[in-house]
Amino acid sequence: MPTVEAIPIELGRLLGAIFGVAIIAGLMGLAQMISARAADRRLVQTGYPPRTLLATRLAALGGVTVVVAAVNYGVLWLTISPGAPVLTFVFLVLAGLVYAFLGALVGALLPRLFEGSLVVVFLAMMDAFLSGDSPLAADVPEFVEYFPLYHPKELLQEAMFQGTYTTGDLGFVAGYLLVLLVLVTAVFGVTMRTSGGWSA
Amino acid sequence: MSRTTTAFTIGIKEQARNYVLVALLVVLPVSFITLAFAVTQDVEMPVRTLVDGETVTVMRGMPEVHGVIMTPITSALIAGLAGLFLMREAKDTDGRLAVAGYRARQVITARFGVLAAITLIVTGVSVGVMLVDFQPEHLWWFVAAMLVVSVTYGLIGMLVGAVFDRLAGMWLMLILPMLDIGLFQDPLFIQSEPEWWMKLLPGYWPVRVMVDTGLTTDVDTTLSLVWATGYLLLVAVLTIGVYYRITQEK
Repeated sequence: MPTVEAIPIELGRLLGAIFGVAIIAGLMGLAQMISARAADRRLVQTGYPPRTLLATRLAALGGVTVVVAAVNYGVLWLTISPGAPVLTFVFLVLAGLVYAFLGALVGALLPRLFEGSLVVVFLAMMDAFLSGDSPLAADVPEFVEYFPLYHPKELLQEAMFQGTYTTGDLGFVAGYLLVLLVLVTAVFGVTMRTSGGWSA
Repeated sequence: MSRTTTAFTIGIKEQARNYVLVALLVVLPVSFITLAFAVTQDVEMPVRTLVDGETVTVMRGMPEVHGVIMTPITSALIAGLAGLFLMREAKDTDGRLAVAGYRARQVITARFGVLAAITLIVTGVSVGVMLVDFQPEHLWWFVAAMLVVSVTYGLIGMLVGAVFDRLAGMWLMLILPMLDIGLFQDPLFIQSEPEWWMKLLPGYWPVRVMVDTGLTTDVDTTLSLVWATGYLLLVAVLTIGVYYRITQEK
């Protein structure tokens, strides 16, 4: 049987950073939607357009995600010097945005923070584990490619160790974000519906 | 039916109605343990453990080592959350039981009995799921260490529940076993002598026993199991004290 001496530590650090960004951004997205739901509904009833409301919520989420990514990037940078520092940071932000939108979607669907947190935490854990491409999760089925962190991790890994990126991966992440945005908008619209339709 | 039995039965029914706990019990063992065996690369890697009283490095299959670690993580995680839920409920209701004439030892026996029952089920399910893919060299030693680590984490969950609310407590109890057992005690990551502070964590002694009795043919960690039990007793005394105090405050 072949042997390995150790789990590749730099890959482990990279996965730790991407998991850290994903889980915090995901929980922020979840909290953003659930804790503000009652207030948002009242704003909609007073005539505030739901899409504008959602845009402000997502913009705030985007800002927080950039901060979270910056903190994780800083910690990562202490131990590894990335091949392409700006690209590495941007891809970390993209990974965070995917999970922030996912958290927002879960928050728009589930009624309480407690159950939502469990869903987001376990989703991020399994996703980071299976998408990680480490020896601990090497024999994974092909559909793992469609997991939320798979392509952000590919982008990050390439930027970090080779200083480049693949357009296909970037396109996939952009598409993923777009689909999530459409879903969040649709679900948010339904949950904010006050008397049978958009109030504006 | 004695008061203790009544309180115990009601406590078990309460937990059985906690669908989050039941869902975790069904989903987690398969998604953590079975998946660990299924996806881990089939290669050998060095593992530090005790053989004939000496710490040596032996080569073992990575799926087996990963499975040995994921089993206590699963069990500790669910037991910890169960302990957290128990303490949150106790904070709300057990003070009233005292007013209704219950003695402290009756309520304590019932509550800790519920935790013990849940831990037995969680350990049984986790080990059962593990046995589908992997047979430890010394099953009963392995189970004993599993019970100790699970009860310890169940009690830690209770302590966390005494200080934090349900949500903050849950976040904490999701992260704690992951970091302790899954990172600081994991022979896949820690391949030299552990730092002194890693030895103070609840998972240190039980995981030593599990790695030894799961992956080697001789049992060299009897003393580690004694230390693990001592750690458990210490946490139990602390938890009973905290429990007594917070239910008295009501």
